Amino acid sequence: MQALRNIWFLALATCTEGVRHRALWAIVCLAVLLTMANLGVTTLYSWDLGKVSVEFGLSAVAFTGLLLVFFLGMKILADDLERSRIFMLLSRPVSIWQYLTGKFLGLAMILLLATIILGISAALSMQYVLWQYPVYVPPDFSWLTYLMALVCQYMSLVVVLAVSVLCFSFASQPFVALLLAVSSYLVGQNMELLRRVVVENPYAGALTGQKNLVIALSWLFPNLSLFDKKYVAAYGMAFSSQEFLLLCLYGVSYSVLLIFLATLLFKRKELA
Amino acid sequence: MNITHAKSTSPIIEISRLTKGFGTGRRKNQAVDNLSITIARGEVFGFLGPNGAGKSTTIKLLLGFLKPDSGSLGILGKIVGQDEFRQRIGYLSEFPFFYDHLTARETLRLSGRLSGMSKQAINQRIPMLLERMNLLNAADRRVGGFSKGMKQRLGMANALVHDPEVLIFDEPMSGLDPVGRHQIKKLIIELKQDGKTIFFSSHILSDIEALCDRIGIINKGVLLYSGGLEEFLAAGVGLEERFVSLIEEGNRASVA
Repeated sequence: MQALRNIWFLALATCTEGVRHRALWAIVCLAVLLTMANLGVTTLYSWDLGKVSVEFGLSAVAFTGLLLVFFLGMKILADDLERSRIFMLLSRPVSIWQYLTGKFLGLAMILLLATIILGISAALSMQYVLWQYPVYVPPDFSWLTYLMALVCQYMSLVVVLAVSVLCFSFASQPFVALLLAVSSYLVGQNMELLRRVVVENPYAGALTGQKNLVIALSWLFPNLSLFDKKYVAAYGMAFSSQEFLLLCLYGVSYSVLLIFLATLLFKRKELA
Repeated sequence: MNITHAKSTSPIIEISRLTKGFGTGRRKNQAVDNLSITIARGEVFGFLGPNGAGKSTTIKLLLGFLKPDSGSLGILGKIVGQDEFRQRIGYLSEFPFFYDHLTARETLRLSGRLSGMSKQAINQRIPMLLERMNLLNAADRRVGGFSKGMKQRLGMANALVHDPEVLIFDEPMSGLDPVGRHQIKKLIIELKQDGKTIFFSSHILSDIEALCDRIGIINKGVLLYSGGLEEFLAAGVGLEERFVSLIEEGNRASVA
């Protein structure tokens, strides 16, 4: 029970620290401006205004979330080590897994808050565009699908956050951790495409014949493209609740696994 | 492991044949070499040495932040690295850093909660500690705006929030002005009167002289002296003179 309490206190402290950080609000303001820019950008197109608006809004959420993970999240993690703040926490009866889980959940809470603000901001700008140009509203457009796409976007950010925590747990320098996390994100975004190219195409250039390697890598890296439901939301396409739940389950279980691995690696780290 | 689970007469801190190095091969730096120290209940033990002598490394090993290459460490009869003892110790690091955007009160509340204290106990203890550390007026200010002295005093309050039996301070007076140093010294004397066991590192000789029952002198990872302060000064020379000559002897021995 004390373990769960410790995780909660650490998560709460991390979230409070993040929420009061100027960087968070600078990034959120940027994102709100971006979603508002939706109004201007959408009108540059002469067709499919509804689709452009929805995609632009969700892209702004994704972009901001990544900035938050890579800059604010990793800064908070790195500061614990670089500024020896971790000693204040680990001199208490707090285990490594509680520390990392608490940090992860605290940062996930910051991401949730940012996603809610940006989701509402994007929805308002989309509502305006859809109201102004009703002829371009996709016939099956649904706010529920938009909400599900937003949750998927959030789950994708949570997975990227878990990858960042993993990189932080073994990298010698915060900058190295950041590079590894960004690289993993890029690979994760494109892995599914690469897998399909190699598996389905006998002429896959340098990767021809490396089917097993690519499949193995696709299991290793997170499949972030699965969470990208912008297109589905923009066209009001069918998005079953079963697929949605499976995606959430995938995101949660993958993150849990990464935090578990991060704990194992962090235990080997010397806190000099 | 030669540390057994404690009886009441057992030493509170027991370090036995501790060795720790950083790096590998020719570039290996032996930070602590075959160090053995025991500290009894209620003692104030000063761990003295020049910069880079291995004081902070020993403390980090004692708290389990680093893993020893060999040797054993025990606190309150518990084996460091195996048993849980941290709710019974208080630690102040050389450079206490906190979450910049949390207030002093929130910082202490977090530490208290992580040490397993109840909400009620924390709410009673925090104002008392903040008052003792002259931080009551800054209780609801964010720590990021604190001066070095205020952070050090908050660090001290943080170490004491759960009323631990053993206190481990790494350079508690470093960077403090004379008033701040006086406050911390006074506090250590009060803690000693309360029966706390205190292990603190310093290279400020006058602080050691004023506060300690026993001292350990370390240089280049090797313990040169461990024993009573009075015995160390028996020859009638001042602490500074005796300390410098011991370090020079140690340096000569290591070159030879």
